[in-house]
Amino acid sequence: MSAAAVARDTGARLAAADAAGLNATLYWSQELLDAEARRVEALPADSSLHGMPIALKDNIVTTDAPTTCASRILAGYVSPYEATAVTRLRGAGAMVAAKANMDEFAMGSSTEHSAFGRVVHPLDPSRVPGGSSGGSAALVAAGVVPAALGSETGGSVRQPASFCGVVGVKPSYGRVSRFGLVAFGSSLDCISVFGRTVDDAARVLAAMSGHDPLDRTTLDRPSMRRPEPRRDLRGLRIGLPREYFPADLHPGVAAGMERARRATRELGAELVDVSLPHSAFAVPTYYIVAPAEAAANLARYDGVRYGPRRIGAAGGIQALYQATRGEGFGPEVQRRILIGTYVLSAGYYDAYYRKAQRVRKLIADDFRRAFTGGVDLLLTPTTPTPAFRAGEKTGDPVAMYLADVFVCAISLAGLPALSLPVGRSEGLPVGAQLIGPFFEDEAMLAAAAALERALGADAEVR
Amino acid sequence: MSIGRDDVLHVARLAELAVRDEDLPRLVDQLNRIVDYVAQLDRLPAEAAADPQAGESDPDDPFLPGPAQVTLRDDVPGPVPLARPPAEFAPEFAEGFFLVPRHGAMEDL
Repeated sequence: MSAAAVARDTGARLAAADAAGLNATLYWSQELLDAEARRVEALPADSSLHGMPIALKDNIVTTDAPTTCASRILAGYVSPYEATAVTRLRGAGAMVAAKANMDEFAMGSSTEHSAFGRVVHPLDPSRVPGGSSGGSAALVAAGVVPAALGSETGGSVRQPASFCGVVGVKPSYGRVSRFGLVAFGSSLDCISVFGRTVDDAARVLAAMSGHDPLDRTTLDRPSMRRPEPRRDLRGLRIGLPREYFPADLHPGVAAGMERARRATRELGAELVDVSLPHSAFAVPTYYIVAPAEAAANLARYDGVRYGPRRIGAAGGIQALYQATRGEGFGPEVQRRILIGTYVLSAGYYDAYYRKAQRVRKLIADDFRRAFTGGVDLLLTPTTPTPAFRAGEKTGDPVAMYLADVFVCAISLAGLPALSLPVGRSEGLPVGAQLIGPFFEDEAMLAAAAALERALGADAEVR
Repeated sequence: MSIGRDDVLHVARLAELAVRDEDLPRLVDQLNRIVDYVAQLDRLPAEAAADPQAGESDPDDPFLPGPAQVTLRDDVPGPVPLARPPAEFAPEFAEGFFLVPRHGAMEDL
């Protein structure tokens, strides 16, 4: 199939997804797709992603489409520069297909916090696709694109991948450049990938990984290669952290994990019990560290440098800042800015922020101890339940935060992790999470490919 | 620890965020709920929480949580990789400066 034909086909799929009410895109056009096809046809046909259409979460900047972060405060913003990850994907032959809907500024776990309406779960319109990269996940799950970029700060790709039944991979922190990813929590943010298969996600990750002089937190190490999939898991010791298998785990998720455990053993891996005791503190730690960094990063949206501007009733420059930000940010972003400002404010910094940084180190040390203690990978559920219903958790921010209970410790520790579909419970996908040691992304993906082959993702589990 | 209406207004002022009166009761409730939730870190004994900068660094795993990981680049100016020159996206650009309207003349966009 030529790139031009793929571009036409992708446009038709995007139009069908829009018509079906998925609300997964914030911007796409057939003209841009056709221009991408013409550009790709001039590239060598053996480029690693030749003609692959890819959707981008709308917090990853391009120069030929708006970037809104699903926020009114960035309405009409078009970046004067392009994200390094996008430049690398385009260089490898990928075509940018669409900008995907998301929770505003990537804050949320259901993609209900978009200023442009919620994203609908492709399998059940009454449910959420997860978040914050819910638009990207839904586009891959609905078969619109084979791969999409999302971003993770505390699980925002693995959690929606689990809900939507696709593969979601968060690389090690420092593996992929953050240049051109709109900043939320800079010590946590990672551009991450959704794929229909482990191989699709691995190809995209390999193409965009590597040191970038424009992001000093990328490590100057050889780029990731597309891993050779393993035929089996012989010789691997896989740890099951007991804190991630609570007694009240949803029965469908527990059944999916039992299936994953059995397949892992049948493929020759040795399963061992491990403990990550401080993971219990991951969500409260995350909800101090991430809002603190967000409060600082989002200070730049003030009506002077970006977006629409509102004159405050009191006049003066501060009234302008306050009115613009008060009207431009949605409720969840406002909550996080307020919490972040509170934990950094005089009198509370030591009690909250400094303490959270210290607990973050304890959480990271738990993982390090497990891996240096002879475990090659860790296996856990990705989420405590399958996709929940829209509106179920919007009234209680803490209930929403707990949807990330199994994913955010890994973000705090900077480790690579992925979610792999392992079956369906009452028709809804269940995901298992594989976690690797720092910068062992390739080994983790190779093991996931073996497990993927052994498991039919569409099988019903009980 | 309890957050009251005045605390929310104080933090909103620090954050340069206008908060509507009708939103205040909800914000007070929700911020209290979040702060009560994160306060469970107090269950950890103080000595258990290690200094993030402490301990030996592992060359194979240089990840340090938080600001400790930041390395500074050499202070050498270089070109910013813009797709378009500033003159194209700034309304007015002269002699290396962005020209902006006087504040008093700002209009609601």
